[in-house]
Amino acid sequence: MSSQQPLPNTQQPLDVYGGDEVSALVLDAGYCHTRAGFAGEDVPKSVIPSFYGSIKSGDGEAATYREVFGDECLIPRADLEIKNYMSRSESVVEDWDAATKIWEHTLIKRLQPEKPTPPSKNGLNDPTEDGEGDVAMEDAEEQEKPLAENPLLMTEAPWNSGKAREKAIEIAMENWGCPAFWLSRTPVCAAFAAGKASALVIDVGGANTSVTAIHDGMILKRSIQKSPVGGLWLSQQIRSMWESNDPKIDIVPSFMVENKTPVDAGAPAQAKLRKFPFEIHQSFRAYEEERLLTEYKESVVEVWRGPGRYLNPGNEDLVRSQPGRVFEMPNGSNQMWREQRFRVSEGMWDETAALPTADSIAKGQTIPELIKAAINAVDVDLRPNLLGNIVVTGGTSLLNGFGDRLNNELMAMYPGMKIKLHAPGLTTERRFGAWIGGSILASLGTFHQMWISRKEYEENGAGIVEKRCK
Amino acid sequence: MASHDVRDVLNLPLDAGSRPAKKQKTNVPRPSLKGLAREVQNLGGDNPIAIVPELATFKKRRFGSRKPAARWELRPFRNSARSDQSLHLRHWRKQTEDQARAQDEKDGQNGDNVEKKPEELEDSGFAKFNVQVDIPQYSDDQYNSNLKSDDWTKEETDYLFELARDFDLRWPLIWDRYDYQPKLDEGMTNGEGADSTDPKTAVVPASKGRTLEDLKARYYEVAAKMMAVQKPVQYMTQAEFALHEVMANFNPVSETKRKMFAADALSRSRDEAQEEELLLVEVRRILARQEKLNQERRELYNRLDYPHTEQDINVFKSSTGLQTLLQNLMNVDKTKKRKSIMEANGANTPASAHPSAHPPNHPNSTPVSETRRESIAASSTGRRDSAAGERPERPAKKGAQPERKKLTEQEEQIYGVSHHDRLPSGPTFRYERINKILTTKSNAQHQRITNTLAELDIPSRLNMPTKAVVEEMEKLLNSIGVLLDMRKMNDKIEAEIRLEKAKKAEREKALAPPQPEDEAKAGESEETPTTNGEDKKGDAGVNGDAVDKTNSEAPATNGERNGDAAGESGQSANAESAENGAEDKGVQPESSNGHKRSASVLSASSDKSAKRQKK
Repeated sequence: MSSQQPLPNTQQPLDVYGGDEVSALVLDAGYCHTRAGFAGEDVPKSVIPSFYGSIKSGDGEAATYREVFGDECLIPRADLEIKNYMSRSESVVEDWDAATKIWEHTLIKRLQPEKPTPPSKNGLNDPTEDGEGDVAMEDAEEQEKPLAENPLLMTEAPWNSGKAREKAIEIAMENWGCPAFWLSRTPVCAAFAAGKASALVIDVGGANTSVTAIHDGMILKRSIQKSPVGGLWLSQQIRSMWESNDPKIDIVPSFMVENKTPVDAGAPAQAKLRKFPFEIHQSFRAYEEERLLTEYKESVVEVWRGPGRYLNPGNEDLVRSQPGRVFEMPNGSNQMWREQRFRVSEGMWDETAALPTADSIAKGQTIPELIKAAINAVDVDLRPNLLGNIVVTGGTSLLNGFGDRLNNELMAMYPGMKIKLHAPGLTTERRFGAWIGGSILASLGTFHQMWISRKEYEENGAGIVEKRCK
Repeated sequence: MASHDVRDVLNLPLDAGSRPAKKQKTNVPRPSLKGLAREVQNLGGDNPIAIVPELATFKKRRFGSRKPAARWELRPFRNSARSDQSLHLRHWRKQTEDQARAQDEKDGQNGDNVEKKPEELEDSGFAKFNVQVDIPQYSDDQYNSNLKSDDWTKEETDYLFELARDFDLRWPLIWDRYDYQPKLDEGMTNGEGADSTDPKTAVVPASKGRTLEDLKARYYEVAAKMMAVQKPVQYMTQAEFALHEVMANFNPVSETKRKMFAADALSRSRDEAQEEELLLVEVRRILARQEKLNQERRELYNRLDYPHTEQDINVFKSSTGLQTLLQNLMNVDKTKKRKSIMEANGANTPASAHPSAHPPNHPNSTPVSETRRESIAASSTGRRDSAAGERPERPAKKGAQPERKKLTEQEEQIYGVSHHDRLPSGPTFRYERINKILTTKSNAQHQRITNTLAELDIPSRLNMPTKAVVEEMEKLLNSIGVLLDMRKMNDKIEAEIRLEKAKKAEREKALAPPQPEDEAKAGESEETPTTNGEDKKGDAGVNGDAVDKTNSEAPATNGERNGDAAGESGQSANAESAENGAEDKGVQPESSNGHKRSASVLSASSDKSAKRQKK
């Protein structure tokens, strides 16, 4: 009969999971999105774009700027400029003031409960009430720092500079008063999310693609390979393709369309565009265009699965004979896409197939070459193990056929080796791979001994992060 | 558990009487089953059937177990694995009972009953997983006395060990992060501006690119030495010794090679990989066939094998003898398994294929071999067992001592166990072995060896003849022997050259003024005695050598070369060479013939000396 009762909470299965949650927060900042949430959960609670709005008020010299964060604030309005606090080429923080603000927004405003006004200010406490008022004051002072109760785990790109890391711990400790802090590398976290301590992590993100070898939960620095071949680069390819398309396609983001009427495929659009009484900033338009391109990538673009390259004779004809996909632009014009949708993504694998854009790529920047370079930079004894534990993560890796192509390329490069890709089917797991790994890490009982505590920070200064988070 | 909780809620003592009885009632199958239920229950007999869920109890129970929600608290804890103990993280834990009660009281009174803080914070249950790798430490003195290396400075060694500690000996990581920048000399740092930059760049050695093998080799070298320093090899435990051996024998070169091969294997093309797979299959097949063939051959050998009996079989010719034979056979059959003997014999006599020459007078080989063994044991005539005699005795030994402890290499080293093919009877002194080498040589040889030893400052009698020393001494003596041989050869060849030169001169002399042959002969015969004697001796020595060579004996009889060391043998050689000369006179002018003859003559002398040796 007792078996029908739920497990008593005192008997936690320590041996299975080893979790011991200390209400830690996890923050994973990327160029496109910033993800934050509580350790131990499987998706980040708060995902906001790393793009933020900066609203200008006043004119000329006296102009002041107010930042607004979050998707819901990025709407057409006067004097709104869209900025990003990360650097496009490196995916590391560029604008620390904005970074602090946006992180505070996501960590404190979105994840922390609304704090009551401190008793010293709410006017309810009579100063004549002696003893207890003081106690309350002390409490208030302790609580002044917004994250005094939550250890914070942050992720960073593996090539992050020492200075940026020190800055990160400074913000966490000084501004937010975290009791403990840790800085972890994105690929390490992605490997943890896949349940692997040693892996070759292929992270195809928004701004960058990186390949990194992980050994026992630490990155092998020599193996780090990075290239701009990511989501934004793919957008460039699509723009270039639309540019040369017949008929040429004008990019009209959704916010500009007031209404539209259906038209036949290939016919010019019949839509009424919205008029705004103010000027739309170029950056906002670019941001909105990027959203349209994202939709196109999600629904139309596909990766040639192989075997061989897409440009090999015969492949294109084969694709042309296959059914294509229709995509309707926000203004109602639509078209069937056949071979082009394979062509735009081929540049990731074959630099000769890349369409001419502003930032063309070299041979060493294609994904197979990145992998080859990364593998060659590690000890030969590790290579078989790495090839057997390849973790694919990052939102752009969700392109249709990406995994198949990757597998084919690897098989061609390393015949006779056992190659195993770990590419989760769940889109959230792919998009938030690094965050999930950080969430796992920060909720582990064995991780408690790793945290850089406040006292250690105070004793050693910000340099401790270099010493500890290797 | 429900009752427990209810009691808990009502603050009743734990051993309330009425509850357990009720609980028992639910557990015991109800005795008064009716109708079909009873029939079904009876089907099980002694083992009651575990069906018939009593649905009625569910509902009741669920309501019965309703209790107030458990109290949870955010409890701080420490982690003893941390280097700083100040960090107290907090996690949610269920409140224990007394705490809950204290809470109740506090809530109820709300007075000055200040909450007692637990003095000792609970330690994290995960602290025990914090294990650290043991990295050897060394002091400056130890480094200077044991660990110095030309290739590694102390600073770099320190750096390596620090990394090893940081990364818990994960070599790929150590290699990955290894970036040693040699420090500038202190004298340089306070140098004077622009001037100092030049020497700096000149002095600072470029940081060497260390391979993983370099790092490992250095680490293992230091670690093994430190292990040996802390605990001499003899006293190490099994595991320690094994570790020490592994570390001391690390070979970076073979490791590098292995990696090269591995890299090659990784970069195979698909065809190569396929081909290799095919080859492997082929090899496996061939090996399997080989195995089968060997098996068959062994069986054949076993069948053909029969023991060479050196016993007098007359013992068994009488009727009583036959009786004992039969008895032995029976015993053997009873005690031994045929198969094991077959195997043992097969393994021990791989080369005994020749008995096919003899008619198989004992068709069934194995029992007979047993008999012979038994009979040897029985007769115990004290006859020395030949190698063939010893062979079949092995299985018996195995049977007698089935589990002799096999000593490991380390234990053998500790106990000084060594293996010999055959031991001389009785104890001997080690230095006698050395003496034996010396005494077996001729006197002159002996003298020369001692001279050489004196040159090398080595006493001919060893002070401390340990095993290792004696072995080395033996080696030394052997090499001295070789050295002396070489010297002798050298002298011989020189002497020959001289002789040939002399002859050439002679011939030229003979050719220049045309004289009758007789005179030339006479001249030659006169010449030979007059050459200053060393020639002749050399000649004799050469001949003796020739003999030696043919006998392929060690340099035993070669004392006759040097005149100063000449004993009686030297004299005899002298005499013989004189004789030789006389003969030369009588026979032919060509020296080669003369040589041959003298060789034959001298062989007699060397025979003599050989005889002397034997004495």
